[in-house]
Amino acid sequence: MKILDLRATSEKEGISAAISTLKNGGLVVYPTETTYGIGADATNQRSMNKLLQYKKRREGKPLSIAVSDQSMAEVYVELNAAAKKVYKTFLPGPVTVVSKSKGNVAKGVASETGAVGIRIPKYSLILQLIKAYGKPITATGANASYKKRPYMIQDIFSNISEKQKSLIDLVLDAGELPHNEPSTVIDTTLDDIEVLRQGSITFSEQSQIKTHSAEETVHLGKKIVQKYKNLLSYKALVFCLVGELGAGKTQFSKGIAEGLGIKKTIVSPTFTLSRNYPFEGEGKALEFVHIDTWRLFSNQEFLDLGFAQMIDACDVIAVEWADKVRDVLNQYSDEAKLIWVKFEYGKDENERIITI
Amino acid sequence: MNILAIDTSCDETSAAVVQDDHIVANIISSQVELHTPFGGVVPMIAKRAHEERIDPVIQKALKRAHLTLKHIDVFAVTYGPGLAIALEVGVRRAKELAQEYGKPLIAVNHMEGHIYAMFADVKKVLPHLPLLALLVSGGHTELVLMKNHGVYELIGQTVDDAAGEAFDKVARMLGLGYPGGALLAKLAEEGNPRAYSFTIPMTRTGDLNFSFSGIKTAVMRLMKELSHDGTRVLAKKEIMDIAASFQHISVEHVVRKTVTAVERTHVQTVIIGGGVSANLLLRKTLRARLKPLGVSVLYPTDKKLCMDNAAMIGVVAYYKAQRKEFVQNIEKLDRNPVTEITD
Repeated sequence: MKILDLRATSEKEGISAAISTLKNGGLVVYPTETTYGIGADATNQRSMNKLLQYKKRREGKPLSIAVSDQSMAEVYVELNAAAKKVYKTFLPGPVTVVSKSKGNVAKGVASETGAVGIRIPKYSLILQLIKAYGKPITATGANASYKKRPYMIQDIFSNISEKQKSLIDLVLDAGELPHNEPSTVIDTTLDDIEVLRQGSITFSEQSQIKTHSAEETVHLGKKIVQKYKNLLSYKALVFCLVGELGAGKTQFSKGIAEGLGIKKTIVSPTFTLSRNYPFEGEGKALEFVHIDTWRLFSNQEFLDLGFAQMIDACDVIAVEWADKVRDVLNQYSDEAKLIWVKFEYGKDENERIITI
Repeated sequence: MNILAIDTSCDETSAAVVQDDHIVANIISSQVELHTPFGGVVPMIAKRAHEERIDPVIQKALKRAHLTLKHIDVFAVTYGPGLAIALEVGVRRAKELAQEYGKPLIAVNHMEGHIYAMFADVKKVLPHLPLLALLVSGGHTELVLMKNHGVYELIGQTVDDAAGEAFDKVARMLGLGYPGGALLAKLAEEGNPRAYSFTIPMTRTGDLNFSFSGIKTAVMRLMKELSHDGTRVLAKKEIMDIAASFQHISVEHVVRKTVTAVERTHVQTVIIGGGVSANLLLRKTLRARLKPLGVSVLYPTDKKLCMDNAAMIGVVAYYKAQRKEFVQNIEKLDRNPVTEITD
């Protein structure tokens, strides 16, 4: 086994060492923006057998592979609309996207059902390496299955047997990595995103974002709706907006509309209670309904606006002052995707803290 | 031509009888009294109150005009924009009446009504066309170029809150209750409009649009600062100064955009319509700025015609009747809470 300290070696040298190891069917331990991964040529059966010997106990689970970009991914997996959206929004980054295999990888990479997880690490050296190598490498964690997360080489070595250790051919040591969560793994094979493993990028857990201008808040709204848009084929999206006057709820709603391709100006619905904007989504004629409960008095009034029908129609709904009708909204948590968004004033005049 | 018009777009239940363009009766049963304890229009209550009041209000209008429903030639009703469940009450009643008496029905856009409030009083000279209408209310802030009767171009509008809405929201922040806009304006008379300086919005956008959310947020921040995050109660003088400064900047914003619109459209007449047209500072400032340009500024002198009322709907209906713009399929007429004047 050869250990290359990346802090004392040029990138070029690291890459060429890794390439020659991969070509010879060897295993390379390499750093990413999450943990250390272990790489083998995913198209070479001999390499794969060696990797499976190292990792053990896969039980039909797919191995993820790292590619340099979306076009390389498309050689190996079929990307549906849902997957493409995730690629666009989150990759490169700590998200593994599971898609249907095209059968161009070695046996043991795809799951029993023919799915492969794709990673595009946000780690320049590795992207350069894969690009130069021209083929995907495995992107599974360098730890033995179910052992401690490998943030430093020592974490790996102290948890594997001598036999496993002997299987490693090259280690690219970048020192101790920041303790980031492993990648979020999402399955897109059912045309819908399903979180298989929660990582730093959250598809359901809360995350907090600071914006510094109204434009940034608009942009955030746009990004968030794009993230969830593919759910519209079978579910309504309800953005439950909570925050005081002037905190950015309407700006965020403008972003939602923009993300849905609506050209009309989104204005405050306080007076009319709700405003409807038609758009086309998932091949259907849908509506974006912007509701303001500021003047509402009871849950019944909220339902009188036709909320249940909107849910049935799989519309996109933004509810301002959603905390006032929290109970009603929660009743629809199965039929609709509820996304709670909290707006708070930040320190500076234009700063807003937005929790999703 | 005897026209019975109904408007239930927001918190007023109103019915009017108009003979041609002459207003004979204009009854407004304001719901403000009902809403006051809740600090805002409460839709369910609005709906129930409209339902309870619509028939008595129609009867009162007919009685004042010395007519009965049999004498009505045309029925007219506001179909939008407004509060969906409030609009429904008026639309339903108008449809029933038109069908029962076998008379034509005319569906009117509420904003068009605010323009035609100026075409009501026949004793005066009618406004010269083309004209620019500045429509400012709780739900709208827009600049409409009226090229001819029934021919409009929406040349500017708010991109977030309506002016009246901003007045109401700031009034609520200041603890003034409902309806806040008018109270805020009254309080502002005694305050110093230059006590606090807010930035005039949208001065460099080059368009004719309005924005009030920035001013609203600025007031919010100022109040937080002055009250040490709500731990100190503001003095009356401070509240008056905030009200005056807020009103000053809002009016300045509206007036500047309107003057730019006049310069671009070369109209000779500007009319102000909608609830906020009752604001004295707005009227005064707009007149002062447009007089040097030789442009006349008109607004309804009858206070009722500034409010939401059915007479203005009747006047629109009279002009529409000349053009034979009747509802083709009465059964199918539906309210449209977000309709625009150009629809």
